[in-house]
Amino acid sequence: MALPRPFTRGRRDTSGNRMWVWLMLPGTLWMTGFLIASLVLVAVLAVGTTDELGNPRFGFDLAGVRALADPAYTEVMARSLGYALLTCLICLLIAYPVAYTIALHGGRYKHALIAAIVVPFFANYLVRMYGWSVVLSDDGPVLRTLRAVGLADGGTKILNSGLGVVAGLVYGFVVFMIIPLYAALERLDVSLIEAGRDLYGGPVRTFFFVTLPATRQGAAAGLVLVFLPAMGDFVSAQLMGGPDQIMIGNLIQDKFFQGQNWPLGSALTMLLMLVLLIGMLGYLRRTRKDEAEARR
Amino acid sequence: MTLLRAPSPAVPERTAAKARPRRGRAGRRPRVLIAITALFFALLYLPIAVVGLFSFNSQKSLTVFDGFSLRWYRAFAHDDLLLSSLGTSLRISLVAMAGSVLLGVALALGLVRCRTRLGSLAGLIMLVPLITPEIVTGVASMLLFKGLGVPLSTGTVMLAEITFSISYVTVILRSRVAALNPEVEEAAMDLGATRWQAVRLVTLPALLPAVLASAVLIFALVFDDFVLAYFTTGVDPQPLSVRIYSAIRFGVQPTINAVGTLMLAGSIALIALALFIPRLFGRRGGLDLLSGK
Repeated sequence: MALPRPFTRGRRDTSGNRMWVWLMLPGTLWMTGFLIASLVLVAVLAVGTTDELGNPRFGFDLAGVRALADPAYTEVMARSLGYALLTCLICLLIAYPVAYTIALHGGRYKHALIAAIVVPFFANYLVRMYGWSVVLSDDGPVLRTLRAVGLADGGTKILNSGLGVVAGLVYGFVVFMIIPLYAALERLDVSLIEAGRDLYGGPVRTFFFVTLPATRQGAAAGLVLVFLPAMGDFVSAQLMGGPDQIMIGNLIQDKFFQGQNWPLGSALTMLLMLVLLIGMLGYLRRTRKDEAEARR
Repeated sequence: MTLLRAPSPAVPERTAAKARPRRGRAGRRPRVLIAITALFFALLYLPIAVVGLFSFNSQKSLTVFDGFSLRWYRAFAHDDLLLSSLGTSLRISLVAMAGSVLLGVALALGLVRCRTRLGSLAGLIMLVPLITPEIVTGVASMLLFKGLGVPLSTGTVMLAEITFSISYVTVILRSRVAALNPEVEEAAMDLGATRWQAVRLVTLPALLPAVLASAVLIFALVFDDFVLAYFTTGVDPQPLSVRIYSAIRFGVQPTINAVGTLMLAGSIALIALALFIPRLFGRRGGLDLLSGK
């Protein structure tokens, strides 16, 4: 990124700049044409209507937006937010020890171990979720083990409950927490931890006053990276939950496929984007503040 | 190198001293942490193992393994609907790969080297798919096609997948382009090459491992993608992941275990390949999946 100064100036570069612009143009135009235009379309249809055949018609009708205040929908919104936040928290609690162990105690196997986590996570999401739902089913290995050691009885269920949905979301997206945490922990100067110990900090105090603050940015990045897909997911609620656990993603899917209420679907989509944008902006403000402090 | 190091023997000594306590710390094995990590790995691979194991089950059950059989693989090989979906998915992935790599490489080169306001705007636009959840992209793409009166088909899936994949190619390649020394390009031009020739003969060959790796990665990601395909596909033929989705929604079909196992094995192989391609070329770097965004 940081080119040495002489190469960004000079006569030759002004002529070169034109070629770089030409190279950039097709991709940028493509993205603008397809992506930006389509996102604008969603916003416009949120205040539009559809004709009898279900084709979008654009006008100004706030019915879709007003319907968002319906308690049935606010409940789903609140539930999605709750599930997504809980997923973030659980992912952090799982990912931290795993990333910590691999980064600081992985030795020469650390790259292999991280690859062993990353590779299956990029494999087919649906098939993984399907396998996970089999594992967590009433006769699956997890509940059978829990019953065998007496931690669960015959009536304990994971699937068809909020727990199942969150378990699905965690399984789906925990890698997005592990990667930034691992990167932060790997960069961590181990002598900082040693200094903490030398100053008579116990392992726990050292962790909370040295290690954790030093990796705060990795954790913040992980929280955003998990929150984004978890909030918009609809597969987990469908496979792991029941009708009482639907999330905003299921609602959007329903409005576009079964319910055929596109303006409402668009309004829901915009609401989802709004929540996610607020999360993103919070994260950006936080990191900018951190950077400003680091510079001082 | 030896000449430079020889007069200062203090340097290796200091690094050794610094490395020693680190090894000492690792020597004290934190049993609890290792146990948590082991449990994590077990739970991570258990679902994949279950799908794989029961794809060889001779019975329909997903909880009792009755005996080894290739029954479900044979059923898949004779299922014309699933096979045509497989073909559709392969076609979509190939087209999306070619399109997004072509546009993405050009975009990455332009973004790094171009220092105009247009460049920073393009950089912002490129980031949008990465911070937009897939369901939003899916809904938006579907509305765009419907709004333009384009009937949903395999072609619309291809267009949507290209749009979504350009960002990945660009993000992966941008750091590689930035790491290249622009002086080499300048040198080529001093020797009489035009700027375009310098890019074609010097920069692109240097980027080849990363380009190949990102192409393989995009192929796997598009082949596995479900949400975007689900929103933009027509009724017939449907991509494989959309078929799998309808199958697992309406009850368990063991054929899906066989298809799923093949898909998992295929994408794991492809992604491992994408991570290893740069090493095949004997160069450092390449896919920077691990450094995070």
